[in-house]
Amino acid sequence: MKIAVAGKGGVGKTTVSGTVARALARSGHTVLALDGDLNPMLGVSLGVGGEQTELIVAARQAVAAGEEEHAPTIEEIVKRFGADAPDGVRMVIASRVEFMDPGCMCCGVNPVNLVRQLEHGERTVVCDLEAGIGTIERIETGVVDVLLVVANPTGKSLEVARRAIEIADGITEIVVVANRVAGDSDLELMREVLGDRELFVIPEDAVIAAADREGLAPIDLDPDSPGVAALVRLAERVAGAPVAA
Amino acid sequence: MPDAAGDALVPLRIAVAGKGGSGKSVLSGTMARLIARRGGRVLALDSDLLPGLSMSLGSGPDPAEAPLWGATQKKPDGRGYMWGEGMHAALAAQRFALDAPDGVRLLLRGKQRPEGFGAVIGASQTFWEVVHGLVDAPEFRDWTLIGDLPAGQYQVADDWAPYARIYLVVVQPTMQSALTGRRILRVARMRAPEARHLVIANRVRDEDDVRHVEKLVGEPAFASLPVDEDVAAAATIFAETVKRLRDAGGAFV
Repeated sequence: MKIAVAGKGGVGKTTVSGTVARALARSGHTVLALDGDLNPMLGVSLGVGGEQTELIVAARQAVAAGEEEHAPTIEEIVKRFGADAPDGVRMVIASRVEFMDPGCMCCGVNPVNLVRQLEHGERTVVCDLEAGIGTIERIETGVVDVLLVVANPTGKSLEVARRAIEIADGITEIVVVANRVAGDSDLELMREVLGDRELFVIPEDAVIAAADREGLAPIDLDPDSPGVAALVRLAERVAGAPVAA
Repeated sequence: MPDAAGDALVPLRIAVAGKGGSGKSVLSGTMARLIARRGGRVLALDSDLLPGLSMSLGSGPDPAEAPLWGATQKKPDGRGYMWGEGMHAALAAQRFALDAPDGVRLLLRGKQRPEGFGAVIGASQTFWEVVHGLVDAPEFRDWTLIGDLPAGQYQVADDWAPYARIYLVVVQPTMQSALTGRRILRVARMRAPEARHLVIANRVRDEDDVRHVEKLVGEPAFASLPVDEDVAAAATIFAETVKRLRDAGGAFV
């Protein structure tokens, strides 16, 4: 199946993507984690580390400098611009490079195109989309099985989430992830803005905050902390969703 | 930046960049207001397709339609856009910037619409022309320009802030924020080697947090801003505003 993750920058999209990917891999899925964010950080939350993430990004950027060959096919991109992350997750940088050759499919690739063309086969694909809603507009029916829309209890992130839901509603299954919820008033505020939708709550969690600070995967720091445990339940919930033909 | 804001007579050319959620808009909006309060003329440049700067400026919701459409017309062959009749960068900025509190003027690129990028593309192209034209525009020689760039390094790479003599790169004490800061600094130094590139440590609780930012970014912080409950409260007030707008039928679209 294919899962995409969207939301405003800074809401925890990458933490959700990375932790869900790791949790799925731990429960036996073959996971391909695509980093579709223009500012790729998925390596950090997958547990590859900050410096290693920069090296993987640099290999991708080297295409623009002519130091690395362009990749002609989707599977070639997956093979060439990826790295192995813990629990057997394969991670791939799939966003455009900084200074791109406009004619080249691989350096200007649009993550949604990539997800569309990827045969998921036996794989579970988790795609961390770019911040905002630009890419969601390109998602048609069948491109992804589930869209996770991540929001915090703040005005700007709720506004982005509201727009994302408006665009994707009816096109794909949507699960709204209420991240960094500190209490009932936060949840109430989110319900008021987002309406009657089910909110999958990830409580504010000192372990996730500590992982963010040091650049570690939250699931490596403490898989049983309230926030991480909720993300593992989110992975279970999503994996149980019907897979489109 | 007390030294800079203190002397309102020195017009500054600033671009604020950083990771999403790092506090770019709050910094840009607040600086713009402070400089204007001290008597400086300030044009705030919002090149983000997502809402943010107007909330931090306190100027109310963004208009549904980008004002710069008014300075734009279709090319005669129907392919693409060009300046409207008699328009140029300074005139477009004078005529289509919005009023924000304290006399700040706010120029918008335009905001993402449900019907897609096509709804802002002409205004967006004009915004690009305006920021490039303002670099040498005599009408704005005495103005401070503050650009609030969207998250990440791409607008710096793609030359959306050609006016910037100072890049403020906002970094929180987290790995992702710091890596983003590093990427922005690298691209900004390639784009504008002669500009100043400064790290602003944001939402720091103590001196340890500042050191952590400096360690992860690999260079000293020019200034640091503490965690501020009032700023957090403002974020909640924004949420209330969005809700009220939605209830009222949504000028926000």
